[in-house]
Formats: sequence, structure tokens, C-alpha cells
Amino acid sequence: MTITATGAATAGTRPPAERTTGGRGRGGGLLRWCFVAPAVLYMLAFFGYPLVRNILMSFQHYTPRTYFTGSSPFNGLGNWRAVFSDPLFTGSLWHTLVFTAGSLLGQFVIGLALAVFFSRRFRLSGFARAVLLLPWLVPMVVTSIVWRKLLDQDTGVINTVLTGLHLASGPVPWLSSPGVALLSAILVNVWIGIPFNMVILYGGLQEIPRDLHEAAALDGAGAWRTFRSVTLPMLRPVVTVVLVLGFMSTVKILDLILALTAGGPADATQTLGTVTYRLSFEQLDFGQGAVVGNVLIAVSAVFAVLYLRANRADFGRGK
Amino acid sequence: MDPTRHRLRAAAVMSAAALAATAVTGCASAPDPGTVTVLNSATDSLEHAQEQKFFDLCAKPLGVRVRQTSVPADQVASKALRMASSHSLTDILELDGSEVPQFAATGGLVPVRKAGVDVSGMSKSAVTMGSYRGTQYGVARAVNSLALIYNKDLLSRAGLKPPTTWDELKRTAKKLTHGSTFGMAFSATPDADGVYQFLPFFWSAGGDEAHLDDGKGAPALQLWKDLVAGKAASSAVVTWNQQDVNDQFIAGRAAMMINGPWQVPVLDQHKGLHWAVAPIPVPNAGDPVVPPIGGTVMTIPQTRDTGRQHTAAKIINCLNEQHNQVAWGESVNNVPTMTAAAAQYARQNPKLAAFASEVATARSRTDRVGARWPVVSDALSGAFQSVLTGGASPRAALKQAQARATAGE
Amino acid sequence: MRHTSAPRRHGNTVIAVVILVILLFPLYWMVNIALQPGEGLASTDWFPVDAGLGNFRRALSSQGGSLATSLVVALGAVVVCLALAAPAAYGLARFGLRGSRTIVFGTLITQMVPGIVVANALYSAYVDLHLVNSVLGLILADASLGLPFSLVLLRAFMVSIPREVVEAALVDGANRFTAFVRIVLPMSRNALITSGLFTFLFAWSDFMFALTLNTTDDVKPVTLSMYEYIGAHVSDWGAVMATAVVSAVPAAILLVLAQKYVAAGISGGSVK
Repeated sequence: MTITATGAATAGTRPPAERTTGGRGRGGGLLRWCFVAPAVLYMLAFFGYPLVRNILMSFQHYTPRTYFTGSSPFNGLGNWRAVFSDPLFTGSLWHTLVFTAGSLLGQFVIGLALAVFFSRRFRLSGFARAVLLLPWLVPMVVTSIVWRKLLDQDTGVINTVLTGLHLASGPVPWLSSPGVALLSAILVNVWIGIPFNMVILYGGLQEIPRDLHEAAALDGAGAWRTFRSVTLPMLRPVVTVVLVLGFMSTVKILDLILALTAGGPADATQTLGTVTYRLSFEQLDFGQGAVVGNVLIAVSAVFAVLYLRANRADFGRGK
Repeated sequence: MDPTRHRLRAAAVMSAAALAATAVTGCASAPDPGTVTVLNSATDSLEHAQEQKFFDLCAKPLGVRVRQTSVPADQVASKALRMASSHSLTDILELDGSEVPQFAATGGLVPVRKAGVDVSGMSKSAVTMGSYRGTQYGVARAVNSLALIYNKDLLSRAGLKPPTTWDELKRTAKKLTHGSTFGMAFSATPDADGVYQFLPFFWSAGGDEAHLDDGKGAPALQLWKDLVAGKAASSAVVTWNQQDVNDQFIAGRAAMMINGPWQVPVLDQHKGLHWAVAPIPVPNAGDPVVPPIGGTVMTIPQTRDTGRQHTAAKIINCLNEQHNQVAWGESVNNVPTMTAAAAQYARQNPKLAAFASEVATARSRTDRVGARWPVVSDALSGAFQSVLTGGASPRAALKQAQARATAGE
Repeated sequence: MRHTSAPRRHGNTVIAVVILVILLFPLYWMVNIALQPGEGLASTDWFPVDAGLGNFRRALSSQGGSLATSLVVALGAVVVCLALAAPAAYGLARFGLRGSRTIVFGTLITQMVPGIVVANALYSAYVDLHLVNSVLGLILADASLGLPFSLVLLRAFMVSIPREVVEAALVDGANRFTAFVRIVLPMSRNALITSGLFTFLFAWSDFMFALTLNTTDDVKPVTLSMYEYIGAHVSDWGAVMATAVVSAVPAAILLVLAQKYVAAGISGGSVK
């Protein structure tokens, strides 16, 4: 699920000879399209068609009856009005943004710290990096079950340790207090996201020429300055990848929250994902569910465009 | 030959066909006349095999075979709808009782009597559970409800008897609470589990799911709130589903719990645990207990082929003969719905007699609000969750819930 | 860095171990529950003192068939995905086709469509194409999970292949396709492995398509089977955790084996 950026930062370090233009003439167009067309058609069938269908659905009265009779009359903005006037929706939009921002921040900072740390050479470094990817492999539904046990208020290990070490005065209501539950969900999601962030950022760090660091060190820059003025700018295209992808997979999260808190307590962890699920699969109002789904897609699209603009990163240049 | 061309053509055909499919749905391949299909939630291999045994028993005399498709319980409804859209719905569709109105309202289910199902001798509550607007669409073989299950050792050690009224419940639970043991445990999750557990309290207080804000249900919320605020129940109840509640009870972290008969096999595995069943406490001595009725029902989807519907009806009739109902009820620890079968079941399973007697009068969740139940259920769970976490007073929470439940009207 | 002293290196190793312990604790707990003979109802010991493999035995017997299905489906998805993505990536990287940018941005858009939206729409199409309940149908659907990722990763990688190498082959009389197969693909080995690996992992962990596109038990990958197992055995924590461990093992082995290619493939792709 990665998309790649060609960033201004690295473009400067490439030899200009790489930037050849054109290719050989414009002839043989059909054969060239034969390379691209299968993938494009496939994506139209597997993503384009569902997307269009979902947009249409949000303007239709789409209920269980539709599945039996096939009729789904258009009802204009009816679904949209119903969804937007529901306080649950506004709340979930806010939770989604907090959850996404919190998760990305945590995953990215810890992922980057680990990537930098494991760039050092020492025993076990390679092994540790490989093993740290394991959390990624456990299916989400199991991850949430394990965490539900770890975070259990009365019997969970985390509370046992915290109260045992006198770090908390009493059991922390990780999942049972509306003020804490969203934070707990973020915590679990950060844990899940660390491996992905670490791997990609680590890959990016390996690409930065070592002599750049050495040059900075010769100029008398300290470790932190070198990191800020050499490493981070060089890493920017990779950061774009990590953040854009992270955003898009986090914002639509469903299974984790469903298994961890089911949106509770008191709707404190309802997100756009869980509201879509609730509308479509519990209340079987597919039209309204589609509205929330579209909002989700729109939020992602707006973010992607804004972020790419702001960072002048360019998806899809490549000649 | 250029292999890419081939790939291209294949992909083009595939996607064109995929797009065309939206225009012309239908035309599923003709069903096999010798096979009756069933969609249910028996994903557990033992339960699946058990179901199959009864199906085979009833299908054999008719010269047909039964093929089950089992999906997780929370996926049955959406899977059924998907099948309906492709005209491949099974001959028998086993839904949760609370889902019947939504499906019946689509016109996609056949009234069971019309298909030839004999429902005489079935308890009134079981009939109500499978009905929508006065017509029965679903037949339950066995049903469940909730009761107070208590740890006999813990209560006798404290010299206490199981509580019968709400005040006794609060006092008893408080006295049983010490160390890591809470007096009481119940499920208050914002889903079907929590709502199912809240209903007996809500109903016995006089609450009405069609008018959540009439004030009568508020004392039930207050009771739950008092139990948690008084530390007689863990504040984690808002995260416990009925399974978690059972786990707490088995581990000795709860002296009493609200739960259903399906937990019996799990409880029985723990030899050192001595438990018994009592009715759920009521607001005042002498008030009637109003437990909810739950379980799955068999429905017959509308298909063009009435012959298949009749075959399905015959199988359902056979499954509901007294001896089959009793045997089935015993295998899943639910109470048979035929009055005579329930009596026999109670005699053979004295430990569960308390459940057997209450299901006859138990109340169906969808009786009052029909197809609106999922929305009402959502609103109700919002109410107890916000009261238990201190977000609202009982009255305010119910007022908000009523607004939420009627927003779409 | 090359001058790091020995004590400092040991210090790093110690820090690394601490990090591992903290981050992998939830996984340890999973295995710990799985190894304890009881059902892990409300309390679990810190260590599996009287460890037993009973839970694992039960898990294997119930999941064995599904593991095989998952393996076939995931490998199939990798093949389909790479067969579609590699030529397209090359075309987008090198042919200067009009609309290349739109296509690449389009792949970004695909990432925004929630899985359930795709699955629901596919179902009705699949019924008419007789792809429901088929391994092929699931492979085609699962390939969609890795295609956007692979396409972009490979494109970025292929941009960096020196143009002259391919041109030389073309001058020697090879057509574009043979040049692609003989020269571009071998040079993109790392990126192909990375894409394939990611696609494998996405397909391996797919639950949505497995659930929606099958109506019988004929094709049941391990995620679906595990979900059902969990639903039916909620109180048997030991067995559930053992099942989870078993279901993660094949993917874990693969990941550890291919780990060095992952870093190489990603860095090659994302920075160039």
C-alpha cells in the first residue's frame, strides 16, 4: 500500500543525466498501452466501479427491501441530511481526526526513533529489526483481543504493573472511561503501526549518503543539528510516503475499534468507520452508510491533495 | 504471439462483464431439486455437526439432503441480503429473533402457516418472537432468556440468600464485595449483549421501548448506576460482553451475575464452582419478572418455487416435534418452545427449570417497535452507557435516547 | 559511526533488548496464554510454568485445511498482482504515455475506498461471473489489495533503471516486451520481491473478501476460519491464542526470510 514520491530534496542530489526526455518517438503507442491497460482496467473494475456504486447509493433509499426487489428509488439529499443532522456523526468525525492524528504522530515519532537507532551497527541489530515486524502479522481481530486482556481494568497486566510499581493510585479505566478509551485505542494502533513506519523510514535512512553526515560533522554540527538539517530534509520523500499512507489506512479503521470497544463507552470511540458499520450492517440502512463512506473517502482525498501541495511532493512524475 | 495482448483481452472481458452485472442481476444457476439449503450461524464445528444430525434425521424421509452454510452470527443478515440480491437465498434462513421484522418488512419472507408449518402448541412468547405485525414468519425450536446466576459458596459463607428485589440486590451485592470480588456482574456493552441484559430491569420497572422518555425506565438506569457507583459492580461492566461476565464469575471475581442458559456447559466444566439460578430481582416484592426472550428462528424466504417452500416447511415441522425439540434444546442449553416439550425439558434438567418457567412469559424485543428495533436498541445502549460513565442523569439520558430513536421519522 | 566503541555497542544491544521486550510483550502474552493449559479465564500467570501444547494441537487440527487455502490464495494473489503491476509500472515509468500522472494519482485514490465498499460491490458481479466460492475469485480480489502498492513501488524502481541498458537491447532487435522480460524484470528483482511480499501479507490477512465472496465452506482462508473459531470459543482463550499464533507462523517465517529485500526494495523505491 505504498505510493512513492519523487521529492525535490533528492532530485537535487541525482546526476542530471538521469533526466532524459521523451523516449524513442511516439510510435508503437498500442503496444505501449498493452503494458498499462490490464492494470488500469483491473483497477477500474475493482476500485472504480465500487466507488461509483457507493456514490450513487448515497443518493438512494437503499434498504433491505432493495435486495429483494431490486428497487432503490433516488431520494435526493435525504440520506445526507439525516447523517449530517445526527450528533453521533459530528462526534465520530472529531474522534476520527483525533484518532488519526494521535496514531500517526505516535507511530511516526517512535518509528523514526527506532529507525535511527537501528541504523547504528551493533550486535542483534538486524535480528531485532526483523523481529519487530512480527506485530504486523497478527490479524487485527486477535491483536484487539490480546490488548483487551492487557488493558482490562481489574485483571489486566498493565494495571497490575502500574499499581504494583505505584505509578498509578488505582486501576486505570483504560477502556471503560469515555475520557481514556480513545487514548487507549490510539495506543494500540500506535503499537500496530510502528513496524510499518520503522521499516520504511529505515529504508529511507540507508539511502542517505554517509559522507553527507561526515561533512556535517566536519563542519562542527552536533548530532541533533545534523539530524535536523541533513537527515530530515533528505528523508522528506519517505516521510511523505509514510504519512500519506498512514493517514489513509488509519482514517478508515474499523476492525480494531469494533473489537476493542465497539465504539463505546458512551460513544467515546465512535469513528467514521464504526458509524458506517453501524448504519449499514446493524441498522441495514445502506444509503446512509454510503454517505459516511463517501465522507471518509472525501476526507482522505482532501488530506492527500493538501499534503502533497504543501510538500510539493509529486506523485507520478517519472520519466 | 504477444502474451500481453491475451492478458489485456482477458482483463477487458472481465471488467466489462463486471460492469454489465450491475445492470442485469439475477439468473443464478437453478437450485438442485434434491438439496434443501440452510443459512445459519452454526460455525462451531460441534454445533454444525449437531445441526446436521437433526437436519438429516428430518430430511431423509423426504428423500432430500440438507446443506448448511454457516457464517458468524453478526454476519448472517448481511449475507442473507447479498444472497437475496442474487436470487440465491437458501430455502431455510435462520435469523436472530430480533432480525425478523426487518426481513419480514421487505416482503421477502413467507408466512410460516401459509407454507404449511404447524405452530400449534407453541408458547405465546415464542410465537411473538417470530412475528411481525401479527403474522408469524419465524419458528424457534428453542429459546433462551436471562436469570440471576449466583455462586452458592460465596453467598452461604456470607449467610446471604439470593436477592429478590432491587434493594436486596444492592444490599446483597455490597455485602459480597471484598478484595478482588465484586458482588454483582452484568454486561453493559453498547451492543446486543448489553441491551439484552438491560431489558429485564427496564421492563420490570415499567419501561416502554416505544416511549423511552416516559420516565418509567429511569429507575432501572438508576439501579445499574447505583451498583457501579457503590462499587458493588466493576465500572468495567461497560466493556464486558456476556462472555466476559461469565469469565469473571468463573474466576470468582463476581458472586452473582446476569446470564443465560447457554453458559451452562462452560460453568459445568468447572467442578469446584457451585452455582444456582434465581429469577432476576424486581423493583418491589411481588412485581412480575419480565425477562427478554432470545434465540434464533427458522424462516422460509420467498422463492418462486412453492414446492421447495413446502419441503422446507415439512423439515421445520419435523424439527419441532416434541422429542426433537427436547433433544435439540438439551444440546444447545436452550428451552424448547412447545409448551409440552418445555415441561418435559424442565423435568429432565432441574438445574435449568428456572429458565424453563420464565421463557413462557418472556417478552420479545421487537414486539412493540418492529423493524425499528435496531435503532431503538442503539439508543437504549447509548442511554445506559452514558449513565454508567457519568455523562448524564437517567432521565436526561432516556430523553436523549428517545430523540435518537425517532430521529429518522 | 564506524568508530563506535565496544562498550557503546554493548549499550546499544542492551537498549535494543529493552525495546524488544516492551514492544513484543503483547505477542509474548499471546503465546503465554496459548501455552497455559487452562482457559486463561480471568487471570494468567506471568510465565507458562506448566506449559502444554494441547492448545496448539487443537488449533492445528481445526485450522490445518484453512492454512493451505490461505497459502494457495495468497500465492495466487501475488502472481496476479505482479503480472498486472510489473508491465504497467514499466509503462508508466518509461513510455511517456499521456495520462500517466492521472493513472498514478488514481492508484492513490484506490487506497481511500474502504474495503467493505469494494467487497459489497464485487459480490453481485461475482455471482454473475460464477466466481463466488472459487479460489480464483478470491485470488483476483485479493490481488487488488497489493496492486496499488506494487504498481507505485515498481514504477519508482524502474524509473531508476538506466535507460541506455534497455535501449541497447532494443537496438539489438529485441522488441519492447522481450526487453522488458529479459532486462527490466531481472534488474527489478528486489522491488519485485518486496511487492510480492507485501501483496502476500495483505492477501494473507484479508478477512473482508473471504467473508463476502464465499457462501459455502469450500474456500475458507485462515482468517475467516479463525474469526469463526473465536466466535464459537470465546471463553477458551488458550485455544484462541494458539490459533492466532499458528495462523501467523507461515507469514512470520516468510517475513524474516525476506527481510533484507524489504528494506532494499522500499528504499530503492521510495527515494528514487
